[in-house]
Amino acid sequence: MHSRLTPYLLIAPLLAFIAVFTYVPILTSVNLSFREWDFLTAAKPWVGTENYRLVLTSNQFWNSVQVTAIFALISVPLRLMLAIGIASYLVREALPQRLLRGALFLPSVTSTVAIAVVFSWLFATDYGVINAALAVFGLPKVYWLQDPQLALWVIILVNTWKQLGYDIVIYIAGLQAISPDLYDAANVDGGKRFHVFRRVTVPLVMPTTYFLLVISVIEAFQVFTVVDVMTRGGPAGATDMVVNMLYRVGFTLFDIGQGSAIAVLLFILLIGLAIFKARVLGRRVHYEA
Amino acid sequence: MKRETLWPWAALVAGLIFLSPVLYTIWMSFLTVDSYYAGDPVLTLENYRVAFGEFDFLRYLLNSLFVSGVVTLGGLALAVMAAFAFARFDFPGGDFLFAAVVATLMIPSHITLIPNYLTLANIGLLDTYAGLILPAISNGFAAFFLRQYIRGIPRALDEAAYMDGARPLQVLWRVIVPIARPAILSMGLYIFITEWNNYIWPLVAISDSDLYTLQIGLAKLYRENPGEDVINWPLVMAASTITILPILIGFLAVERHLVRGITMGAVK
Repeated sequence: MHSRLTPYLLIAPLLAFIAVFTYVPILTSVNLSFREWDFLTAAKPWVGTENYRLVLTSNQFWNSVQVTAIFALISVPLRLMLAIGIASYLVREALPQRLLRGALFLPSVTSTVAIAVVFSWLFATDYGVINAALAVFGLPKVYWLQDPQLALWVIILVNTWKQLGYDIVIYIAGLQAISPDLYDAANVDGGKRFHVFRRVTVPLVMPTTYFLLVISVIEAFQVFTVVDVMTRGGPAGATDMVVNMLYRVGFTLFDIGQGSAIAVLLFILLIGLAIFKARVLGRRVHYEA
Repeated sequence: MKRETLWPWAALVAGLIFLSPVLYTIWMSFLTVDSYYAGDPVLTLENYRVAFGEFDFLRYLLNSLFVSGVVTLGGLALAVMAAFAFARFDFPGGDFLFAAVVATLMIPSHITLIPNYLTLANIGLLDTYAGLILPAISNGFAAFFLRQYIRGIPRALDEAAYMDGARPLQVLWRVIVPIARPAILSMGLYIFITEWNNYIWPLVAISDSDLYTLQIGLAKLYRENPGEDVINWPLVMAASTITILPILIGFLAVERHLVRGITMGAVK
């Protein structure tokens, strides 16, 4: 009927691209992380673990780890709590719910650069909408993106606004997959509604919560674009995420060795999380009402 | 009863408030810069003329359309062929190779940044369309998703076609692809949007402004602060609107396909 080679020929193009642009680069990164190289010279001398020593003893690296961890620890639970609450209201397939779902989902497919630009304008010190609104109430200007105490919160807000709709849509799919009767949790009379939400809805969507929790943390550790456009990691490193530091070390300082060492360290952390996710989600999570 | 009639209005208002930054961006893009700062709106298309003309956004728009289009078509072609092989053929090493494809879903892309830059530099593809397209073309998620979908199509349909003397590629093209169209469309949208919004790779791979995509063009325009003493926000907003609008229009047309593609990947 067909040659034994057929399946191999069909998968060859995809596998070739995956090999060249995904798997080989992992090995290349590991190799380069043990060398000293500025991209310009021909020689790439082997320096052992020197790059790792330099990275792991640099304040900048630990600052970016800390900033990224704070970002993840605040933005992920915030998004998930908002999303599960909103999803339980929007789970029915009626027109208002669907429209609102669409509105909430839209930012998650919209250009991150454009969103970052728009929020830079909202939070601009002069002529920004937020400060203009404060001025109406006689409040002073706030230096949202220039104040190290505030800039990270603005980044968290932008990320939440952008990603919330995705979480909601996943929660709705999770709720609908459980049981059609549950959509009507929202129809229960006032006082009982929160009880149903806490005792029935939340435990039943636990698998979805685990899924979102892990992928959101992984994604939070790779945040780059919002920060690059809005603050470039500033002020004074207050929003400097790990990938922003990686980009700076690799592509503006051209320290390929240290850049690769940062990439490998982040890779190990994220693969660890991904394996944890596969283990936890691979097992059936028990429902407890 | 009363609450039921209130719901649509409350939902509409909530949606508009949530999207107000985007809506206001579009509104602002039609204001003259003087009237924006004076707070007395005067409408104009001038910002779009300047953005498309002097600031080259027409070129960036075409670059984005071309790059995202080729990545989508190429990505779908590779994924559909591989998905068909994994769904329909039993072959030595098949399980292992499928696992290797699925594992790419777990691999964070930042690890490939420096090596892919070096690879493209070695073969002289930095600052080319090929350099933007090639690293983005393999899509493990699309291959995985389509394989699951194809497995749900009855094998009897393939067998009938083989009986009539069709070859595997003909079976794929005439039997599988037409049936799997909704799934292929969902994946196509997903790939297109992901590539359209891609920022870090073009930032690394492109320095020639003739090859900028919209994302890079917009970030540069915003940074270089066009305008005399004050930022020309209306111009920046016109550029932002140009960057958002194609996806916005597509979104309104095919939201359901998109949501299905995204949720089917997440909820087993």
